[in-house]
Amino acid sequence: MSGKTSKLTRPGLPGWLILVGSALLVLVCLFPFWWMVVSSVKTLRELYTVPPIWWPDTPTFQNYSNVLFQSNIPRYFLNSVIVSAGSTGLALILAIFASYGFARFKFKGKPLLQSMVLVAQLLPTAAIIVPLFITLRFLGLVNTYWGLILVYMIITLPLSVWMLTSYFKNIPVELEEAAIIDGASRLECLFRITLPLSLPGIASVMVYAFVTTWNEFIFALCFATDSSVKTLPIGLAEFSTEFNTDWGAVMAASVVMTLPIAILFLSMQRLFVGGLTAGATKG
Amino acid sequence: MAPLTINDVRKSYGALEVLHGVNIDITDGEFVVLVGPSGCGKSTLLRMLAGLEDISAGEVSIGGRVVNALQPKERDIAMVFQSYALYPHMTVKQNMGFSLKLARAPKQDVRDRVLDVAKTLNLEDYLQRYPRQLSGGQRQRVAMGRAMVRNPEVFLFDEPLSNLDAKLRVKMRSEIKQNHHRLKTTTVYVTHDQVEAMTMADKIVVMNAGRVEQVGSPLELYDRPANIFVAGFIGSPAMNLIAGRIVDGHFLGSDGTCMAVPAPAARLEGQEVKLGIRPEHLVIDPQGHPAEVLTVEPTGSETLVLMQLAGHEIVGVFRERITLAPGKPLSLSLMPDHIHLFDTQTGLRIPLSPEN
Repeated sequence: MSGKTSKLTRPGLPGWLILVGSALLVLVCLFPFWWMVVSSVKTLRELYTVPPIWWPDTPTFQNYSNVLFQSNIPRYFLNSVIVSAGSTGLALILAIFASYGFARFKFKGKPLLQSMVLVAQLLPTAAIIVPLFITLRFLGLVNTYWGLILVYMIITLPLSVWMLTSYFKNIPVELEEAAIIDGASRLECLFRITLPLSLPGIASVMVYAFVTTWNEFIFALCFATDSSVKTLPIGLAEFSTEFNTDWGAVMAASVVMTLPIAILFLSMQRLFVGGLTAGATKG
Repeated sequence: MAPLTINDVRKSYGALEVLHGVNIDITDGEFVVLVGPSGCGKSTLLRMLAGLEDISAGEVSIGGRVVNALQPKERDIAMVFQSYALYPHMTVKQNMGFSLKLARAPKQDVRDRVLDVAKTLNLEDYLQRYPRQLSGGQRQRVAMGRAMVRNPEVFLFDEPLSNLDAKLRVKMRSEIKQNHHRLKTTTVYVTHDQVEAMTMADKIVVMNAGRVEQVGSPLELYDRPANIFVAGFIGSPAMNLIAGRIVDGHFLGSDGTCMAVPAPAARLEGQEVKLGIRPEHLVIDPQGHPAEVLTVEPTGSETLVLMQLAGHEIVGVFRERITLAPGKPLSLSLMPDHIHLFDTQTGLRIPLSPEN
């Protein structure tokens, strides 16, 4: 069969055009990152040079030492890790059970509940900041890890539930029925059959939730005003003062902030990309 | 091994009843095939036996124990699914040992039992493989192995061969039959393929539209179908049916063809009936009824001929090599001992002699 198809001409654009197009796209996407890395090893004077310097003659690591040893960035990094990992973990656990329920059981009010989950996602950030702040203050959670973790969980949970629900629905029910006949309980079905087969979906949800909370700015700005709980995006903003901005330090801190995301993404890339397409086709 | 009793079992989804009171008695070690067209409720019934569907009314008992309220794992049954439903992330060995692992059996026991079953199914070389690395027939065997490992009281099969190609289907059919011969486990097997039903069953249950039409051994169903539905469903090609009435002790077709029928039919004088005759019970006979050949299908061992007789298209099967051409006339007679008469109103078969 493959012998026959190779003789057929490919429909659509010619190969070289696709290659040039994708190369251009990749270049445009990667340019900001490259500029960030280059700028982080420039001196302040070199940063302001016109025409711009594409690669400094003597790269300096002064910006990195400033960021790592003379700023609050390491502490903020730790805060970000705790808050993002905490909210991602919590959202994942809740999303797994909620999605499994939505995907496998019939019950009264299911469509309503499912759409309510989405409604929460549709509310504009500005509209919920004040109510959230009042709630957090009432609970004594302003300026705590738990406050941010809970808020971020609320933001990421709806989409996580929807992603996982559609993923679970794509796993044949018969596998679970076979497991039930084999003597598995509902929870054993979930943990021994459905979850292991949903790894790509779970990876997608993890990456989505982690990246969203890692980058979040507005809520962190409002609910974490004490440096003991401030997160990295706030830390970046702190390099800009009323009178000047230490761009070199901002760039170095940005690189530090980007690394965990890049590592997370690369380590889960195969699963993640698989997870994005697996919903579309069977198997 | 255990007898299985299905007593006035009903299934309804809301106001819609899909099974209307099914009664089947299955004795210990029997191989029973549920057969019927799609949508007749046979798979639903099987899933109710397995415990995957609730029983709306009636009683199912396995080994004398009513299982209506029991979980599937408490019923001591094993099921083979149409799609095999092998766990894709587990090896053959893990797939087969999964039920024992869930039951917290000692590891050594699980290993021994899996190896034991794998040997009988010729799967020893594949124990470390994943389902995606197996062929269709091997997957089918693993699915059976997974059921056999538990040594259940009852095996349930849900159209297990319909995903296989024709050749493999015949092979697996006899493998399943051999396994049953060796294990003698009570088996309920669902299929829509009447050839599978005829070749495998000790007892066939023909179902249609949520009702049992007839229960009996394969040849019983073939020789004495209870009604028009069973007559048309069992046998391939299907039984020929010709509409008409009994006049003066003869069968008078709707187009005026007059045919001789066994003497007891005289008591049906004037009644609307359908005459049934199986394709192999037609004989080429110069003194017979005039017919016209429509198509000829030689298969080598026999010849299938589609003909026009008494205003109906009928099929004949002839063992002899006959030379016929479409459009040519032909003379046919019916073997009198193999003529069936059915009541047109009720569809029921009218017995023509005490023993049939």
